[in-house]
Parts: sequence; C-alpha cells; structure tokens
Amino acid sequence: MNTIINRLEKMTAKQMLLYGMLAICFVASLVFVNYNYSFYERPIAKITEAHLQDTSETTDLYENTDTIYTQEITAELKNGEEKGKLIHLTNEYSASGAFDQEYSVGNDLFVYINPDTVDDNELTGSILDVKRDKYIVFVAWIFIFTLLFVGKKQGLFSIVSLVVNALILSYALDIYLRTSDISFVLICSTSVILFTVISLLLVNGFNEKTYAAIIATIVGTFSSLLISYIVIWATSGKGLRYEEMQFLTRPYKDIFMAGVFIGSLGAVMDVAITMSSSIFGLFEKNHNISIKALTKSGMEIGKDIMGTMTNILFFAYVSGSIPMLILYLKNGSPLGFTLSMNLSLEFARALAGGIGIVLTIPIGLYTSILFINRKRARK
Amino acid sequence: MSVLVCLGAILLILMVVIGGKKGARSFLAIFFNFGVLLFIILLMTNPAFHPITLTLIACVIISCINLFYINEVNTKTKTAFLSSIITTVILLFFILLLTEKAKIHGFGEEETEELGIFSLYIGVDFVKIGASVIIMSAIGAITDTAMAISSPMRELFYHHPLINRKELFAFGIRIGKDILGTSANTLFFAFFGGYIALLIWFKDLSYSLDEIVNSKIFSSEMITIFCSGIGVTLVIPITSWITAYSLVRGREKKEA
Repeated sequence: MNTIINRLEKMTAKQMLLYGMLAICFVASLVFVNYNYSFYERPIAKITEAHLQDTSETTDLYENTDTIYTQEITAELKNGEEKGKLIHLTNEYSASGAFDQEYSVGNDLFVYINPDTVDDNELTGSILDVKRDKYIVFVAWIFIFTLLFVGKKQGLFSIVSLVVNALILSYALDIYLRTSDISFVLICSTSVILFTVISLLLVNGFNEKTYAAIIATIVGTFSSLLISYIVIWATSGKGLRYEEMQFLTRPYKDIFMAGVFIGSLGAVMDVAITMSSSIFGLFEKNHNISIKALTKSGMEIGKDIMGTMTNILFFAYVSGSIPMLILYLKNGSPLGFTLSMNLSLEFARALAGGIGIVLTIPIGLYTSILFINRKRARK
Repeated sequence: MSVLVCLGAILLILMVVIGGKKGARSFLAIFFNFGVLLFIILLMTNPAFHPITLTLIACVIISCINLFYINEVNTKTKTAFLSSIITTVILLFFILLLTEKAKIHGFGEEETEELGIFSLYIGVDFVKIGASVIIMSAIGAITDTAMAISSPMRELFYHHPLINRKELFAFGIRIGKDILGTSANTLFFAFFGGYIALLIWFKDLSYSLDEIVNSKIFSSEMITIFCSGIGVTLVIPITSWITAYSLVRGREKKEA
C-alpha cells in the first residue's frame, strides 16, 4: 500500500492528468457501447428469457454426429418505435457452432420485426446478428492498457502507429475504389512508402538509424515484390488457387499482390530496424571499427533473426485457415485437395514475405554501412 | 513449375547463401512447423480430442522448434521457452472467455455462400477452435519476442556477473520497450495484408459503419489483432522476470 502512495506522490501533474483522462475515456466508452441502442437504426433487442425447447441428434453424409438445439427466446426491444415491447424469437443452434450460436439472457441481438405483428402486443421476428461492438471496445482497452503499462511512451507510439496506418490503408482503398484510372500497384506503393516512413519514425525517432532502416525497408519490400511478380509471371500463376480467395469484388490478382506487399512490410521493417540499430550500436561503441568487422557481426545478427521472423509470418497467415481446413476434411475432401485449395495463397504469401525478410538482411547491412561511411567522410 | 515450388526454392537459396547452416535450419523449421500444424488440425477433426489441449501441445512443440532447433538448448532459449508457454496459457484463457462472449466463432454470414455445399453440423467445437486460431496466429511472434529479450539479458549478465535481479529485470523491460513497436507492427501489417480483400468488400457493398463493426468477420479480425498485440506485449515482463530470476538463482546456487 505504501509503495502505491509513494508512487502517487511521485507522479507529476502532467502524468496525473494523462491517467485521469485515460480512466475517463475508458469508463465513458464502456458506458457508451453498453447503452448506445438509440444510435442504431436497426432494431436491437436484449434477451430477457431463453428456454431450451427441443434437442435432436443429426448425422450427416460423412457420419459426423452433432446435436441441434432449439431455443425459445423472449427479448425486450431497446430502440425504435417499438422500444420497450417484448419480441418472441426462436433460435436453432448446433453443439459445434460452425455458423450458429447459443444465446443467453443479457445478450444484445439485431432483430427483424415481423411487420404483421406490429399492431399486436406480442411481436415476433427473427434474429439477424449479435451486437458485438462492446466486446471490440473492451478488448481494445485491454490492448491499450497492456501496451501503455509495459511500453509506456513506446507503447503509446505503437498504438498511434497502428491507428494512423489503419487510417492510411482505409483512405488508400477509398482512392482505389473511387478512381479506376490510377493503377492499384501505384496506390499500394505510395501507401507502403507512407507506412514505412510513419511507422519507423514513430518507433525510432528522427535519426540516421531510422533513415537507413527506411531505405532498407523500401528497397527490400520492392525487391521481394519484384521477385514474386516475376515468379508468378514466369510460371503463369500455376498452383495458385485464386478461386478460393474470399470476399472478391475486384480483380483478384491485384488484391492478392497488394496483400503480399503490405503483409510482409511489417516483418521487413522489423528486420531493417534490427540491422541498422545493431550496426549503428557497434559503430557508436567503437568509432574505428572496420567495415569488415561490421559486415561480419551484421551477418551474424541477420542469421539469428531470419528463422523466427519467417515463422511469425507463416503462423500469422496460415492459422486463419484452420476452421476452413477442418470443415473441408470433415466433409470428406481428400487431404491434398483441401491443402491446395485453402493454403496455396497463404503459403505463397508466407514464402514471398520470407524472401523479403532474407533479402533485407544484406540490404539493411549495406545501407547502414553506407550511412556510416558518409558520417566518417564528413569528419 | 508451380509458383510455390519456385518461391520456396528462391527462399531456400537465399537463406543458405546468407545464413549458411543456420539458414538451412530456419528453412526446414518452416516445414516442421507446418507438419505440426497439419497434424494438430487432423487431430482436431476428431471430436474426442479437446481442441484447447491440442493447441497447447502444438504451442509447446512449435516453441521447441523455433527456439531449440533453430537456436540451441541453453539458458537463453530455456527461459524464452518457459516464458512463451506461460504467456500462451494466460492469453488462451482470456481469448476463450472472449470468443464465447462475443460469439465470433465459426464462419460469418459473408462466407456462407461458398459453404453451401458443405455440411456444417460436423460435431467439432468451433468456439474452442476459434480461440486456437488466435493463439496460433500469435505464437510465432511470442516466441520471437521472448528470445529477443532473454538473449541480450544473458549477454548483460555475462559481462556484469554481479548485477542484481532488479537491475536485470529493468534491463529486460528496457529492451522489450525498444522492440515492442516493431514486433507489434510485424503482426499488424501481416493481418492488414490479409484483410485487404475484406475491407474492399465492405466498401464496395457499402456496408454502414455499424454493420461493419458488429459483423462476425470484422469483429473476429479486430479481436485477433488486439489479442496478438496483447500477447507480444505480455511476454515482455514475463520473460524479463523469469530470465532475471533464473540467472540470479543460478549464480546463488553456484555460490552456495
């Protein structure tokens, strides 16, 4: 207890203000998302009662057994003209929950109100979706608190960089959708340069280390993109199952390449900044260090990071396909077909990213040495 | 030759040229990891096995590959391993609670069109599989961060053998802060790259903001980003504490 009081006494007015504002934002936003029904146009209902009505076993073509439940739900409408009225809903869900879910008292649901029943006291309707905004806000706060608590100022910068980059991405996509005459690759290249400059300056500040890393990142990303382009062109895209790409409304190849481009960027930046900080670190410790020694140490560091970095990308990409792979396999699809249908694009992405990571090691090394040489020459 | 074989060959050549033996090991590690992932997925199709237990087993094996196979078995990798597993377990409980509440498991409305031919009543627990997906997305980044902290802490201890536990811990946190930004960025951009198609879809079909935020797909993507961010951050103090504790205890044992 004493230590807490001690800490509180040591805090400056500025820090107090900052923490206070954070706490106010936290409470206000949580209250808001829990009571923001009137901001929605779609009718929302809060479940007041839920009863299990019926249970039945099913077996499908592939001998998979599952249990299907039927729920009778009574919910209170929270917005719109029918606010305060009760609505009766039925929900069918399975034990596996691939596309359905069990609801319980207190859940908020988006509902469709059957217009024939509006005049009656008892409304009926169907369930459209779950109101999920409060959970996103809650996790976002846990994320913000963890980053600020562990990372302090650097944590704050990571949050800012995440938000700024997300806004740039959204804006770039808007431009792409509105203008058909600017090529997608051009828009992506511009955004990649913006992403790199902003993220690295935020993470590392204005100094030569950062400049070297920015150049290395841009050169590394573009060379890996070039290699992927050439490979896809030379093999005419053999083995890539574009047809399994989800959510397509636009030319699929462009979107896939943009995904490769932006997806590997974070990892390439990480490698570039690791290379430049460690090489500048060695130089600062000993200003007379030879270029040969720098190259040797730089390569050692590069070897240490390339394995783990490629694995980060691999898991980030491939894990998302797990539910789909399970669905395919449980529906009697052969293993080879399942894998090539679901993983060919993810694998291509991970491999292209890996190429970017490995290429950035020598590129980062030589850009840093270039900057060091320039520094020496100026003296 | 297919695109994958070609890209794989280029990656292998680059890794061996730049990384030598270690590069070749790093390349093989990707395939071992894929093997583990595939094996776990095959086991998950059997409802008799608990998906969370399988996920934990997968995380242990994957951490072993990433830490002990690519590097070596030594104090650095051992503490990094322990810290990764502890972080994973903590994160797993948090995610499990969340996926169940927010109902983000399984497939979204936008995906059902192409799922028409499949039977969806397949008897495996998609809530737990959803949690496992989030954990597995972050496991690579968690082991990487753990290693990036324990390794310089070991170096510092080697150069200053008399340093006390508190100072070591503070050093670990300081390193962690420096790499926090970049490891978080690595994950953010990897996810952004994957979500471009989804974002264009939302914009093209002019979804309203409230439809986007509350849709299952978008919320599960956001929750994945945030949870993996929490994971790479959480591993920093955990690794610093465990490494500081084990290094100092090792010294005390020697003295006694």
